[in-house]
Amino acid sequence: MTMAAKNSTKGRDSELLVAVAGGDRQALAELYLGYHRRLARFLSRFTPRYENVEEIINDTFMVVWQSAKDFRNASQVSTWVIGIAYRTALKSLRRQKNHAAARSLDEYPEQTVDPALETEVQDWLTRGLNRLPIEQRLTLELAYHMGHSLEEIAAITECPVGTVKARMFHAREKLRLSLPALGGGGFDVTARNQ
Amino acid sequence: MKFTHRSGEARQHPEISALIPWYVNGTLDEREAQRVEAHLALCAMCREDLAQERYVYRGMNSAPFVEHIPAASLKRLQAQLDGAEAAPPAVSAANGRPAAEPARRALPWQGWMAASVALMAVALGLVAADRWLPYRARVQPDYYTVTAPIPRPPNEVIRAVFSPHITLVEMQAILDEAQLRIVSGPTEAGVYSLAADSHRPVNESLALLRGHAQVRFAESTVPGAGDP
Repeated sequence: MTMAAKNSTKGRDSELLVAVAGGDRQALAELYLGYHRRLARFLSRFTPRYENVEEIINDTFMVVWQSAKDFRNASQVSTWVIGIAYRTALKSLRRQKNHAAARSLDEYPEQTVDPALETEVQDWLTRGLNRLPIEQRLTLELAYHMGHSLEEIAAITECPVGTVKARMFHAREKLRLSLPALGGGGFDVTARNQ
Repeated sequence: MKFTHRSGEARQHPEISALIPWYVNGTLDEREAQRVEAHLALCAMCREDLAQERYVYRGMNSAPFVEHIPAASLKRLQAQLDGAEAAPPAVSAANGRPAAEPARRALPWQGWMAASVALMAVALGLVAADRWLPYRARVQPDYYTVTAPIPRPPNEVIRAVFSPHITLVEMQAILDEAQLRIVSGPTEAGVYSLAADSHRPVNESLALLRGHAQVRFAESTVPGAGDP
């Protein structure tokens, strides 16, 4: 997405949230549809079951609906919405007493695997990510898949910047061990650093 | 790592190394990005880290992901909102935090009403038992299993059982999303026969049904269009 397109999206999100604060259900639907894919992808790192993902997304938008009038533009709308989803997901996870619902390799539905994309490296990466503690996994997801800055991740997770850096550091260290091609020290920088 | 010609780089190394993920995702401001680049020119370890992070970044962004059509979820949210609007808000004003569910308060007349309902239920139960028990003795049990061969509508492509708690709105939303319609049912076992409303492959509709918590069971009745 170009910078202009990003700014346009941010502006539209703000307009929609103002309308939601005024009780506009159509605006809520537009916001919901705009965020659904992103949130579903993000939350699938919490739980592999779509019904759980959907429940967290809907709980998130219930909060958005009820709290939109309290949004003071202290952060971007996306940071606010994803922060609500993050906390709602953690709360849901805690309600289940343990992380048994968190994604494990055995729970991957087969249809998620596209043979054309499922390379050996992809498999290592998936395994590596699933071995990370949830906070580290989500820090990586927020940075690498959702493209959030360090400060935005700190806002979303309500942690100091130093904590986010520490989670990322540990995630990188553990992933390094999960990726034999990289962990062995024989990684070809010039081949992959494009 | 070679810092012989610029000793300050060694002190910067941990700080710069920690920024590499955000250098990779392009969210550092220009000044920080320049600092990272200057350090990378001198630090082989950070260059290797950068390569790894780019590798992970690309891997995470090419990971397969099942797309879900959000229409049914949105309808469910709208139904929840309809229900919630009559109820007191369950969210604290500050920071959009989900709040604890408000405690239900029993009203004084509710106890009397519950008691009278229970009394009526017992009375009706006695009347029904009086009529039903002799009838049951005369009639053989009439049931069949879900998998028993029974006559089915010719256009049936899927048989499904929904949660007993599903609302009509939710069921319709799921059927709309899967582009299916009910052609018969429910049977005594709660089985609906569903026909396709479009040319969408049956296995796709089946996968969508199975993705919903409110669908307890779904199977294709079309040969060769079963499980993916």
